[in-house]
Amino acid sequence: MVDLELKRDRIVIRFGTKKWEWVLEPRYWRNTLIWAVILFLFPTVSYFISPGLINTMISANIYAAIAMPLALMTIGTGRMNFGPQFYIGVGGYTAALLSIAYGWGPLTTLPFAILMSMIAALLFSPLVIMARGLYYVLLTLLLPLVFLEVTFIYTDIFKGDTGLFGIVPLLDTGNAKNNFLFIGYFSTVIMFAYLWIINKVLKSRYGLLMAAINDDEDVAHSIGVNINKIKIIAFVAASTMVGIIGWFYAHYFSSFAGITYLPLTFMLKILLVLMIGGRAQVFGCVVGGYFVAFLEMLMIRFMGPIQPLVFPIILLILLFILPEGLFGLYRKRRYREYLPTIHVRR
Amino acid sequence: MEPLLKVSNLVKRFGGIVAVNDVSFEIYKGETLGFIGPNGAGKSTVVNCLTGALLATSGKVEMNGVDITRMKPYQRAHMGLSRTYQIPRPFPELTALTSVLASSISGKRRIHQSFQDAMYDATHYLEFVGLFSKRNILARDLTFYELRMLELARALATTPQLLFIDEVMAGLNPGEAKNAIKMIRKAKEEFGITVFWIEHVMAVLMEAADRIVAINYGAKLAEGTPDEVVNNDDVIEAYLGRGWREYA
Amino acid sequence: MWSYIQNVVVFAFVMGSIYLLIALGFSLICGVLRIFHLGYAYIFPLTVYGTWMLMMTLEWPLIPSILGMILIQFIVAILIYKGMIKKYLATEDVLLTALLLVALIVEQAANYFYPIQAGVYLETTLAEGTYQIGEAVVPKQLMIGSFIALAMTAAFVLFFIKTKTGMAIRALSQDIYSSKIVGINVETLYMFTMMIVLLPVIIGMLIVAPVWSVEPGMGWMYMVTAILVAVLGGLGNIKGTIIASFLIGLAHAFVSFVLGEPRFMNLSALILVMVILVIRPQGLARSESLW
Repeated sequence: MVDLELKRDRIVIRFGTKKWEWVLEPRYWRNTLIWAVILFLFPTVSYFISPGLINTMISANIYAAIAMPLALMTIGTGRMNFGPQFYIGVGGYTAALLSIAYGWGPLTTLPFAILMSMIAALLFSPLVIMARGLYYVLLTLLLPLVFLEVTFIYTDIFKGDTGLFGIVPLLDTGNAKNNFLFIGYFSTVIMFAYLWIINKVLKSRYGLLMAAINDDEDVAHSIGVNINKIKIIAFVAASTMVGIIGWFYAHYFSSFAGITYLPLTFMLKILLVLMIGGRAQVFGCVVGGYFVAFLEMLMIRFMGPIQPLVFPIILLILLFILPEGLFGLYRKRRYREYLPTIHVRR
Repeated sequence: MEPLLKVSNLVKRFGGIVAVNDVSFEIYKGETLGFIGPNGAGKSTVVNCLTGALLATSGKVEMNGVDITRMKPYQRAHMGLSRTYQIPRPFPELTALTSVLASSISGKRRIHQSFQDAMYDATHYLEFVGLFSKRNILARDLTFYELRMLELARALATTPQLLFIDEVMAGLNPGEAKNAIKMIRKAKEEFGITVFWIEHVMAVLMEAADRIVAINYGAKLAEGTPDEVVNNDDVIEAYLGRGWREYA
Repeated sequence: MWSYIQNVVVFAFVMGSIYLLIALGFSLICGVLRIFHLGYAYIFPLTVYGTWMLMMTLEWPLIPSILGMILIQFIVAILIYKGMIKKYLATEDVLLTALLLVALIVEQAANYFYPIQAGVYLETTLAEGTYQIGEAVVPKQLMIGSFIALAMTAAFVLFFIKTKTGMAIRALSQDIYSSKIVGINVETLYMFTMMIVLLPVIIGMLIVAPVWSVEPGMGWMYMVTAILVAVLGGLGNIKGTIIASFLIGLAHAFVSFVLGEPRFMNLSALILVMVILVIRPQGLARSESLW
């Protein structure tokens, strides 16, 4: 049934009439492996030095893990989605409500969070096909704001004013510091998993088809690409991945309030992760995530109440100076191979 | 003989304007059908209806006996219909190789083809049109002739049965034009495809086409061998105007 | 039953006209400049808090403060145009982020200097008390405001139809290159458009400030309505925007009075817009042009 061949530089898998080849290129792995090792050592090192840093690292990993599906969605649908935090709300509230109502643990609420995100994404997927660039941006911008209003309207269910409390935490070893350590590793694993999956998708045939759709939809349609299917799949998959992050937030903080994640202030952070990491570059999202999280931590520690005002100002200045993003600078100097780095068409 | 493509009573309306008015013809396997008509006759509209870019208002299009009138463009590509564009529309951000690769992986269903195999396939088509040396150059940096060849390679990579060629001579100097005709003839022989060729340059069609269909104002004027059509009174009148006899 | 209809009609009229003022600027900017001015929300808090700041710190009376604030708004609009829009017109995602950041900075600045407890209040009441129309009770301020709104919209429409500048802006909204060729000064007109669209919004804000709530986050509430109206009416089309604003005013009034659930106003408007977009994806406008 499944036929596996191991050749010198590639792995070949055959299944029915399909065939997959994975060309192994270890010379490109060196940098990634070095950084992966550094990231894995970081929690242990800071466990002994300053456990608060693990918190920042978890934030950084999660920001990156939200930005990467957003990049995939942008490339796959050819439009910029300004409201991905809607799915954080969906996933988070599902997990929170189920956990509080039935006392389920994180592993049990996870499938439901995934299911609800998928249903919500499918419900709004016609937007991807019908609404062209401008309308799509505006309507996706509105969705989280309206969801926030709904949480305030139905405040007896969603507790929009106070937020939901008492969610079963992700992990409880009894020692708070140990909790941080394990959750830190868990978040790094999530981030790497997303990174690996999305990178593989973008470098495969689907990434190429997405690039073709982005460049010229009608021509892609006439050479045999089912553009609607690819757009919808990209949208639903990316939204589900963001919904899982909502689940993570709910169980990590043991509380969930829409007001933290749904307004535009949160979206701006994610947008800046994308921008600083170079637009729609998958590895750049990791760099951007760490940068934004650590910048935020430093500013809260040293600036106090003026932080919400100075943060956007600094980010605006950064946007002007570095339109390529930090990671874009790196790519410009070490350009290795042609990856479908895509310009978003409207 | 069963026609490869059968067009019956094709009509396309845009609001009040009738762009295609009851056009019917047939294409047989292995032939080259020319398609001529003065500017604004509705040639591109007919091709758009046949390839799926526009939906016909009424009429029927059948390919190998299957009704494809309402099929979407990608479904027609899977059935074996492929086209090039009058003004080349490359994928600007993709290299020549990846453009043809995109075609190769999404054309007709192929078994046992991985991404790498598709890449080898794409280089084969690039080499066929003579663009192998330019395979890693971005499509927007190619010259006009190379763009046309890229269009051809991209259309061929979907392994079509019927290839629509839209005014491939426009903008080419005589040397390039001769190369282009040779390329299309080679493609016909090597890949066994049927060609539907819209063209303005009559000399090309006189020697390359087996039959020609002429239309004007959306309606069919004449159909037959090149000699018959060129000497048809209606066709000459469409190009030269009424009263041409006095000045001929 | 009769009281329902009266309430719905009166409030649809009043709210529709106010929404018209607010959304007109957004629709015009999107239609003429062809950019998604997501930072439009900054205008709302800047109007109110700018006037308040001038009144408090410089101790100016009301009218000079308003004039000073209008001047500040013009300067900010020019800065935004020259600094951001011109530079990043080609890369739209950077532009959108930058504009959003501007809106956020203004909101956070307002929040930092004058948080909700500071009790910001603008005495721009034109008339105290309420009108009684049949069984509907409307604040006089809003009623006068809606007539002002209609007058302003009529002025705008006349401007675009009758004057040369208006026609030049209409030409600009359809094709930039042709406009440049026939000698229209594109730069100046862009800046001019960005400045005149501030006027209806400022007047709208000054009218509703005493009646509706004033808080740093107010920008987003009005922004949601502006977006919904503009999307429904077709971006950049004045006729469509007029129809759409009254439609949404009608929806809000209906939900508030007939269904009795004013909290559902925005949600119902969103559902209405989505349903209409399914039937007619380009909005209610009949054409792509300005009028």
